[in-house]
Amino acid sequence: MRATPGRTCGLVICTFAALHCSRPARADEAQSWLEIETKYIFGFTTGSGIGIEGEKEFTVDSIGRFGKRDGRYAATETKYEYEFTPSQFVQIEFGALGSTHNIRGVTDLDDRNQVAFAGGFAEFRYLAIERTSNNPLSVTLAFEPNARLIDETGGAHVHNYEFETSINADLELLRNRLYAGFNLLYEPEYTHTLADETIRESTLGGSAALSVRLTPGVLIGAEAWYLRHYDDFGLSAFTGDALLVGPTLYVQFTPKSFMVAAWNTQVWGREVGNPQPLNLAEFQRNRVRLKFAWEF
Amino acid sequence: MTGKKRKLILAAACAVAMLPISVAQAQQATEVQLTYTGGQFQPNEVRAPADKPVVFRIKNLDGKAMEFESKSLRVEKVVAAKSEGVVNVRALKPGRYEFFDDFNDKARGALVVQ
Repeated sequence: MRATPGRTCGLVICTFAALHCSRPARADEAQSWLEIETKYIFGFTTGSGIGIEGEKEFTVDSIGRFGKRDGRYAATETKYEYEFTPSQFVQIEFGALGSTHNIRGVTDLDDRNQVAFAGGFAEFRYLAIERTSNNPLSVTLAFEPNARLIDETGGAHVHNYEFETSINADLELLRNRLYAGFNLLYEPEYTHTLADETIRESTLGGSAALSVRLTPGVLIGAEAWYLRHYDDFGLSAFTGDALLVGPTLYVQFTPKSFMVAAWNTQVWGREVGNPQPLNLAEFQRNRVRLKFAWEF
Repeated sequence: MTGKKRKLILAAACAVAMLPISVAQAQQATEVQLTYTGGQFQPNEVRAPADKPVVFRIKNLDGKAMEFESKSLRVEKVVAAKSEGVVNVRALKPGRYEFFDDFNDKARGALVVQ
C-alpha cells in the first residue's frame, strides 16, 4: 500500500487513539476536568464555541486535498488567521490565504507546480443558543466571505468570491467527556476567469461528528460529511454529491496552544452523467486538515 | 439595492447582534465578591439570580498574579498581585458556571444561577 498524506494522518490519529485507549480514564475522572472549548474538537466539522471575551488567537490552518480520477493531484490551502472575541456573543476572524498546487496528468486540469498567495478571508460568528449545565445544546451562526486570486481546485489565476454560511451546533452528551457536533453548510461561489468566463456554483452539505475526551487535553473522534454540488446559486443545477468519512484528533499542548488533525476520505459519490463510482470532479479522494493555534 | 437600503439592513443586523448585550446592560447587575488567597477562591461557590447581569469583584490578596477564567461564562481577566479586578458577565440562564485560575488550575469555583 502506498503511503499518502491522508493515510499517514489517519495512522497518526489511530495510533494516538490506541495509545490512550489502552489506559482508560476512570468514569468519574472527567468530572474534575476543566470545561473545554468545542470549536475545534470535531476535525472539519466546526463546533459552536466562540472563545471567551477578550481572547485573541493566531492560527495556521492547512487543508490538503489529494486524488482525482487520474494523474497526480495534490493541493493545499493555508489560512494565516487572527481570531478575537469582542463580546460574549460574537467572534471575528480574518487573515490571508496561501496555496500550493501539484497537478500532473489530471483530466480537465492543467499541469501545475506552484506556491502562491491566494487571497484573504473574514469570518463572523454569532452564538445563538448557549450551553448551560441544564441545556447541553449550543448553536452558532457563521458567515465567512473569501476572496481568492487562485482557483482552489486547479490553481489558475481567477477572481473568486465565496460566501460560506453555516450553522455550527454541538451537544455535550456526557459531561466533560463525550460531544456530538453538527454542521449545515451553504457555500455559493462566483468565479471570473482570465478567459472572461463567469462561473456560478454552490455547495450544500452537512456533517455529523462524535468526539470523546480521553484525557483533559486529548480528544479523538470521527466525522461524516455529505456534500452536494450545484452549477448555480439556487440549488437547481445539481452536478453531483459525495460522502466523506474519517477520524479526528485534538491535542491541547498548553492552556494557550493546541493542534487539530483530521482526515476525510470519500467513501461514496456520484457525478451526473458519469457512471463511474465516486465524485472526483467536484470533490477529492482524500482531504487532510492540520491546524496549530496559539492564544494570547 | 440602493445604498440607503443597504445601510438600513446593515444597521438592523448590527442592532440584532448587539441586542443581548444592550438588554443585559440595561438591567441592574448583581455584584459577586470573591477573594483569592492561598491559591484558592473564597468563597468557592457563589450564587446569583437568573436573567440579570453579574459583576465579579475579585480581590487578589496573594503575592502573585492570577487569571480569573471561565469557559461557560466566556470571560477572563488577569488580576495583579495585591489588587482587585472587575469582570462583567451577561444576564445568565439558570445553571452552574465553573471558573478557575488559569495560572493555577487547582483553584476552582462555581457560580450557581437560580
